[in-house]
Amino acid sequence: MSMTNTEINLSRAGAGKDVPSDRALAAWEIGSLVSSALIAEWILSAAAGRTKLIVLVPAALAFVLAIASHILRKEHPRDLGFRFDNFLPCLKLLAAPMVAVAILCAGLGLTFGVRPDPFRWHPERQLGGQLALGFLWGLVQQYALQSFINRRAQIVWDKGVRSVLLTAFIFALLHFPNPWLMLLTFIGGLVWCAVYQRAPNLFALALSHAVMTWVLVSTLPLSALNHLRIGFNYFA
Amino acid sequence: MNDKSRARLIHLLISKSMAEAVLITAVVVGFYFATTNPNLRGVLDDADPSFVTGWVVDEGNPGARVEVQLFVDDQFAGDVTANQYRPDVHSAKRADDDWHGFAFRTPQLMPGEHQARVYAVHSNGGGTRRTLQLIGKPYTFHVNQ
Repeated sequence: MSMTNTEINLSRAGAGKDVPSDRALAAWEIGSLVSSALIAEWILSAAAGRTKLIVLVPAALAFVLAIASHILRKEHPRDLGFRFDNFLPCLKLLAAPMVAVAILCAGLGLTFGVRPDPFRWHPERQLGGQLALGFLWGLVQQYALQSFINRRAQIVWDKGVRSVLLTAFIFALLHFPNPWLMLLTFIGGLVWCAVYQRAPNLFALALSHAVMTWVLVSTLPLSALNHLRIGFNYFA
Repeated sequence: MNDKSRARLIHLLISKSMAEAVLITAVVVGFYFATTNPNLRGVLDDADPSFVTGWVVDEGNPGARVEVQLFVDDQFAGDVTANQYRPDVHSAKRADDDWHGFAFRTPQLMPGEHQARVYAVHSNGGGTRRTLQLIGKPYTFHVNQ
């Protein structure tokens, strides 16, 4: 007996069987990664003593999940954004929003009576070294946000506004309860996610991430940003 | 993604969830034991407009003198070490020596009913955390006009 087109599509999607559809599986993957981050931020940070190494456990679990998922879904590093051919086009897309946000932050800072100080971000370290660390940390965050969450969000809701909004919302949620950082990461998330969907390049996004963090710390009052603390540490 | 890959991914997601559940359980149990000292024993004997008195012993470390804090009407009112002479605690075999009593001078209070609570201070997390454990029961007393 032959199957109709609808039946074939339902079968591909996994509907009508005991296995979840691709969309449901992608949503589950997003939830799993977010839960790891929340466990690290809220439970382990609170329970850990002086050593915070325990937060590496959920991070490692999330990393294993992400790598295995890429392999099972046959995603290559190039698909994920580890590439250089679109570095400049990606930076070009990022330039205007970055300049706009930098001007906005400087204006906001001056309104609060804070003069921009480019050496305020860990003043005990050299600025170049701090920017390099910021780039590496930005690369990790952008990898998780774009190569995993954004790509899975596109499976759930396709390319476009809804998947960008979902990814930016998750990025902001992970910075709860720091209100300034939540707002700024939501705005940054919208820009980065939209740019990634047009030109997926993690190196350009990580560079933008490091530079924007530097701009925020240099222009906005540190008391408002609460030293970029999030999760349970926000209250510490 | 084929069905085999999908099944593997589902197994991985379930395994990860289970590993995280085990981790959280272990951390919560560890946190409970780190922040709670089950060996603390004590009683808030009396509270009046002049003094709040009682005794406290750490049965896991009977020679130690326990730090205690007084709260009156949920407001911090003082911090002392329980090292006052209380031979009755020793003779009742609750302590190895006579020096586990505490006495707080009651702060100035408005006339009316007040409640005193005494907490033992438990230091943990390599000194990064100090948790409070209620000693005995809250004691309600009256201050006359």
